[in-house]
Order: sequence, then structure tokens, then C-alpha cells
Amino acid sequence: MRKYLARRAVYAVGTLLGVSLIIFVVLRILPGDPLVAILGVEGHAQMRPADRVRIMADLGLSDPLPLQYGRWLVDIGAGRLGRSFFRGDTVAELILHRGPISAEIGLLALVISWLVGLPVGILSAYRPNSIPDGVARTLSVLFIAIPGFWLGMLIVLALLFWFGYKAPIVIVHVWENPWQNLQIVIGPAMVLGLAQGAYIARMSRSCLLEIIGEDFVRTARAKGVREGRVVFRHALPNALLPVITISGVLLGFVLGGSVAVEQAFGVPGLGRALVTAVIERDIIVVQNLVLLYASIFVIVNVLVDLSYAWLDPRIRYG
Amino acid sequence: MSSSTVTRRSFLRTVGIAGGALTAPAFVSRPARAQETPSPIGVDPSAKRGGTLRYAVHNAPAHFDVHQSGTVANIGPQSPMYDTLLRRHPKDGQTIIPDLAWKYEISPDGKVYTFHLRKGVKFHDGADFTAEDVKATYERIARPPKGVVIPRTPLFATVGDIVVVDPHKIEFRMTQTRPKAFMLGAFASGWNIIVRKKTLEENQGNLRQVMNYPGTGPFRHVSRKDKEIWIMERNPNYWNKGLPYIDRLEVYHLFPFTPELGAAFLSGKVDYARLLDPVSWRKAKEMPGVTAAVFNQSVIQAFWTNMNKKPFADPRVRRAIHLAMDRPTLVEVVKDTAPMQTGGFVYPFHELSTPRLELEKRLGYQKDMKPAVQEARRLLKEAGYGNGIRNLDFVVRDLPTFRLWSVAIQAMLKEHLNIETNLRVVQASVWFDEAQAGNFDLAISAIVSTLMDPSDYFTAWYGKDGPQNYSRWTNPAFHDLTSQIDRELDESKRKTLVRKAEDILEQDPPLIPVAWEQIYDAFYNKVHGQNPSTYFGIYDVVRWDQVWLAQT
Repeated sequence: MRKYLARRAVYAVGTLLGVSLIIFVVLRILPGDPLVAILGVEGHAQMRPADRVRIMADLGLSDPLPLQYGRWLVDIGAGRLGRSFFRGDTVAELILHRGPISAEIGLLALVISWLVGLPVGILSAYRPNSIPDGVARTLSVLFIAIPGFWLGMLIVLALLFWFGYKAPIVIVHVWENPWQNLQIVIGPAMVLGLAQGAYIARMSRSCLLEIIGEDFVRTARAKGVREGRVVFRHALPNALLPVITISGVLLGFVLGGSVAVEQAFGVPGLGRALVTAVIERDIIVVQNLVLLYASIFVIVNVLVDLSYAWLDPRIRYG
Repeated sequence: MSSSTVTRRSFLRTVGIAGGALTAPAFVSRPARAQETPSPIGVDPSAKRGGTLRYAVHNAPAHFDVHQSGTVANIGPQSPMYDTLLRRHPKDGQTIIPDLAWKYEISPDGKVYTFHLRKGVKFHDGADFTAEDVKATYERIARPPKGVVIPRTPLFATVGDIVVVDPHKIEFRMTQTRPKAFMLGAFASGWNIIVRKKTLEENQGNLRQVMNYPGTGPFRHVSRKDKEIWIMERNPNYWNKGLPYIDRLEVYHLFPFTPELGAAFLSGKVDYARLLDPVSWRKAKEMPGVTAAVFNQSVIQAFWTNMNKKPFADPRVRRAIHLAMDRPTLVEVVKDTAPMQTGGFVYPFHELSTPRLELEKRLGYQKDMKPAVQEARRLLKEAGYGNGIRNLDFVVRDLPTFRLWSVAIQAMLKEHLNIETNLRVVQASVWFDEAQAGNFDLAISAIVSTLMDPSDYFTAWYGKDGPQNYSRWTNPAFHDLTSQIDRELDESKRKTLVRKAEDILEQDPPLIPVAWEQIYDAFYNKVHGQNPSTYFGIYDVVRWDQVWLAQT
């Protein structure tokens, strides 16, 4: 197990180094001048060549690219993560302030996706082709198909025009005011969670249908085991492995989707910070946030792999 | 002699009394002290004190240096902490009144501007405000150090020496005269906040990453959450005694023209919203207890034609394109995205420009497009492009208004002139790279000026080497007129010159005007003391010192 863990850790670090290199290169070859956002349109138009040289040097952008990359890796190692080009805030501060909100949204979305997706999947599989199954399948396709940001905007507008309601517009952490915090995170979490729940419902339905047809389930029924116990004790644990696998993948969708959904709900989380940084071409912020998202994705998938052994004793890692 | 006859004695007595009356204060009283010379913005006896004003304006600033900025993202949250030499009166946003300078004099030849500064004014860090701070501020604005770029520098191009006469008197000596309205407008611009000499020295003249540098303004910094909120409190030592009225100012960073900003206002999360989208603004207008205001912004929306590309070197081609634009329709196209109005090459509401009624009789501005299109087709044919032009690269800045307009303009060009364009939508940073490098045939965006006066933007937008002359347009007759407009001190002669310049621009367009921007504000009626309906732009009346809340 330790050997396996060490190997996975090495792979994870290699993956993240690869990701960091790709982000670094892509951000530097993309067209567009970051000084437009710093100086504004009028200032940029007036900039003298000597000003450009000075500002680029101040920002560390005139150094050779390998040096810039090396400096970034050193910053990551030291936990500093660099500073925003513009206001000089550290990216670590940004993550510490906004990260909890985005983490809450992500975790809540994951919980919602399981709370909604799994029962719906079980219901569908237990009574396939029944009316509840038809309704569940239609709704799951609908939630997969509807873009999260659009649904988010509809919810925001509906709440506003029908009830004159808008969630708090600045970050309120859960330890400051849990009720206000819930108002901020619940909307994006519901939108993201329902979309992922739809995937889980479909996956759990098909897996359960397959497992329910297996010999050991028939044997359990033949032995007179109650139906609920057959499903929840025997069939479901065996059907869960693919669902857990897809949950790891879906977390990537949650992370990616949160960027647009946070924007739609006006939640000042990390996703929104990423959007703003992209617009401003604040490449230090962009590269660190993208790397953070990639790290979360890699770590969650390692955890998912490890959870297999716990869920299925037949699986052993050498 | 009759009793009404002026005798030598009565004459001398009258002259003596008059002379004494005029000169007595100089002998009897001490020199005027600033605090004894109240600001024209006095205390309103009906105003209530206290409370928190929640103000939503634009997204967060990219940096903190107001002088180096060109966006309300800085002016919005930071201006309440600073003062300027002169300012625009909040009652109309136009009248120029004293601020840190309680009095100013202009020499008869217009070459020396003398400012008498208030005494007893303190920066938020407790330091005294003196003429040295004004000198350091304006030296930096007029002649920025390397690596510092200040969009207002051209306004002070004719400022030579800045001389500190005494700690509370400073002179600006001009190398050339400029119209009084232009120079006073420059000094009253909200951008030109006075900062401490020491602050500039400690930061090598660059305040981009200095979040809280001391000002003398009515509010002091309390806290800031990046991209969320900037909180300020009342400055108890503010020199204008009795102001400000409100105790706390919360500035929320919300993207302009977005449903998010609209939702924040309509749900009552903020008391005052600036740059509302039209849909939210119209909704706000219907709400009881809300005032919805509209006013002129200092921005032209336009597209440029690349003069270095063959068809556009010919003014007939550019005029044909200019005439082919159905401007009322273009305003209509974006009516749910941003408020706009039609206009030509000069601010359509400025006293020097052609009046709107007259303008609307001209080709290119009429509601009936037929005569303009006929003339456009004739011009294009005469220029040798009677069959149209193909494959033009139309670079579009990636914003909703430009995306909508580009499609409409593409259709108008095709329908009226058989000109075919390929749209290329790019981010702002790429747009400016392409525009400055000349990698475009047509390119659509917006540009801003500080002042309404043509002497500000004629050079920047239409000047031979103007920073926003993306077309690389030149017209010697126009440049000569610009130079005359800059120096002419007689307003009526200036108006004639500006009208002549307008005529040149109509015949030989340096850009194709699409629309002139407006601003939608809305505020709950508990907010008093602010009436933006006659303001010009969002960069001058931005201090909130005169605003009070009915319910606190």
C-alpha cells in the first residue's frame, strides 16, 4: 500500500509539474498585453517605450522565461504563490479569503449530488421503465443539458423579481454568520449539485440494474432475504464503485462549472476571481488558481482510487 | 456753482473714502485664512447626520494609483479620501468652485495661474498640507517619472514652471496660453487629487501598489476586501467643517451594466448604484421611492478605418461608410445593454458643437437614410469601389455592446454599400495590441476624454500622433485648426473654429462615430444632496461630502 501511495504521489507531482508548465507557457504565448489592464486604455496608449521597459521589469516579466518559471516554482514551494500584478495582494491571501466559500460550494454540491442522485438512481433501477423511472430519467437528462450559469441567472432573476431577494454581495464566512453564509453558497451549490446528481442518478441506475441481474442477488432473493436488504446490503455496495469513480471526475466538472456559476450568482469565490484575473490578464493569479484547481482534481482522484480498496476488499494495491 | 457740482474737496474726499475702503482690510485684518474662507459647499441646515451610504460602482481597481488610472474603478472608491485644487459643484457638476485652493488668479496674459491654498488642512496621517504637496503632485502629473503613465499629462503640456511662492501659495507658469475654461477644467478634474510629497518620494513616484496613501478628503480608509468592498469612515478633521454628513461609506465593487449590479440595487442591498444596465434602470424607475437619473458620459463609441490600407486612404470611402450608418438604429440595437445617444465627432451636447437639431438635418444623422445612402453609394463609386469591397478584417472588442454593434454595422455595410466584413472578436488587451500595430481594416471600441472641451480630445483622438488616433489619420487643415482652437481665448471665435473643424471631420472622417455614451444611476430617495442629471462623466463629482441620508 505504501509503495502504491508513493508511486501515486510521484505521478501526482509529475502531473502537476506538467500542468504548471503548460499553464505557464500558454499564458505567456497568448496574445494581449497585460499592461492594458494595469494602465487602462488611455494610459496604455500614452505609454513611452521606456515606461514599458520599466514596468515590465518591475513586474518581473522581462526576465528570461525559465527564470520566471523557476521563481514561480520556488514561490509555490515557499507557499507564497506570488503576488497579483496589479494590487500587490498575495495569491495566498486571495485563496485563504475566497477559498472557503468555493470549497463550501464544491462540498455542498457534492453532498447534494449524492443526496439527490443516489436515491433517484435506486428508485429508477428498482422499478425500471415505471412512471417514476421515466420522470427521473427525463429530469436527469434535463439537468445535464441545462447550462449551470443559465439556470443560475434564472434563479437569481426569479428570486429578485418575485421576492425582491438577493443573496449577500460580499463574502460572509460560515464562522461569521452561518445563515448569511448559507444564503451565499446554497444557490450555486444547488445548481452544480443537481447537474452532477443527474449524472450520478444515471450512473447508479445503470450499475444497479446490472448488479440486480447478477447471480448473487438472485441467490439472496431465493434465500428469502428482504428486498430492502437485497438492494441496500448486497446490490448497492457493489454498484457504488463506478459511481464513486465518476464522482471524482464530476468534481472536475464542479470545479470548472463553479467558475461560471459563481459568476452567475455573483458569489465572490475563487471561480470569480479566476474570471476577473483572466479578463485583467493577471497571469500570476491565473496560473496559481489553475494550478490549485488542478491539484484539487489530482488529489481527489488519488483519494477515489484509495477508497476502492476500502469499499471492495478484493482490491489490493501492490 | 450748484450743490451737485463736484468740487476739488468733495472729489478728494470721495476718492479717499473709496480708496480707504478698498485698502483698509489689508491693514486692519490679518491675511485671509483658509478656514475663514468657507467652501461654496456649505452646511445644509436641513441635512441629517450619520448613517452608512452603500454605493455600488464598477469592479475593483486594477491598482491604487488614481493619477495613473483611466477608470472609475479607481475614482469610485478612492476619490472620497482626497481633494483637488478646484472642483465641480455637485449641484450641477459643471460650475467650477474652489477646493483646496480657496482662491485663484489668472494673470491678464493668461500665462500665470496662482492658487491660494487653504491653511490648517491636514492629511489623514496628521501631516500639514502645503504648496509643496501641490507642486509634487502636479510635477508628477505634468512630467511623470519613468515607468509612471498618467493619462492627464497632455492637459498640462503647456505648464512650465510650478513655483511655490509660500507654503500656501503656488504659481503655475505656462509656456503657452490656453483657454481659461480648458485650464480650469483640467485643475478641477476629479483625477487630479492632491497627494503628499512625502508619499510620492517614499514610493519613487509610483502608487500603483500602495493601497492606503493619505489624502485630505472627507473620508478615511477603514478596510478593503479585494473585488468586494472598500469601507471608509467620516474624517473628523475635515477642513470643510460640518462635512461630510454620513459616518460611513461602503463602496461595493460590482461590474457595470450587469444583472448583478441591478439585482443588488433592486433588492435594496445598496442605496446608490452607478452604471446600471438599461433593464434594471427602467425597473428602478418604476419603483416608488427611487430616483433614476440619466446623464452624459465622456465617451465616444466608434470604429476606426485603417488609413494605411488602400481603400481607407481615400476620404470618400470613409465618408461613404460614415453616411451608411443608421445611427438611431445603432442606439436602438444596444438599448437593453447600455444607454447611448446619437452624435457626430464632437460631444453632441457641448456648447461649441453643432446643435442636435441642426445636426439631425445633416446627411448621416437623418432618420430617413435614403439621401445619405444615395450619397454614400455615389462617393464609393467615384472612389472606384462601386461594386463594393470584400474581406475586410473587422476587429471587435469583446464586450456586449461591441458584439451587437459589429453585427449591425456588418449588415449596414453589406446592405448599403456592398462592403463585406469578417468579424474578429478579441479581448480588450488584444484589441489594443492590434489597433496600435495597425493589424485591422475596421476596429470597434470606445475612447474617453477628461474634459468636454475639444482642446482635450481633438489632439488625443484626431491629432496627427494622437494616442487614440488608431486610424493614423492626418489632415493638415484640421491640425492647423486644432492648434488655433487650443490658443484662441475668445469663446465665440473658438466656436467658429470648432464648427470649421467639425466640417472637416464630416468630409474626411478620422473615425466613424457610432454613439455617445450615457450613464444610468439610480438611488433610493433617502439619499439627498446628489443630483447627477446635469453631470458630465463620472470622474469629477465623486466625493460624497455633500450627501446625506434621510433615514439613518
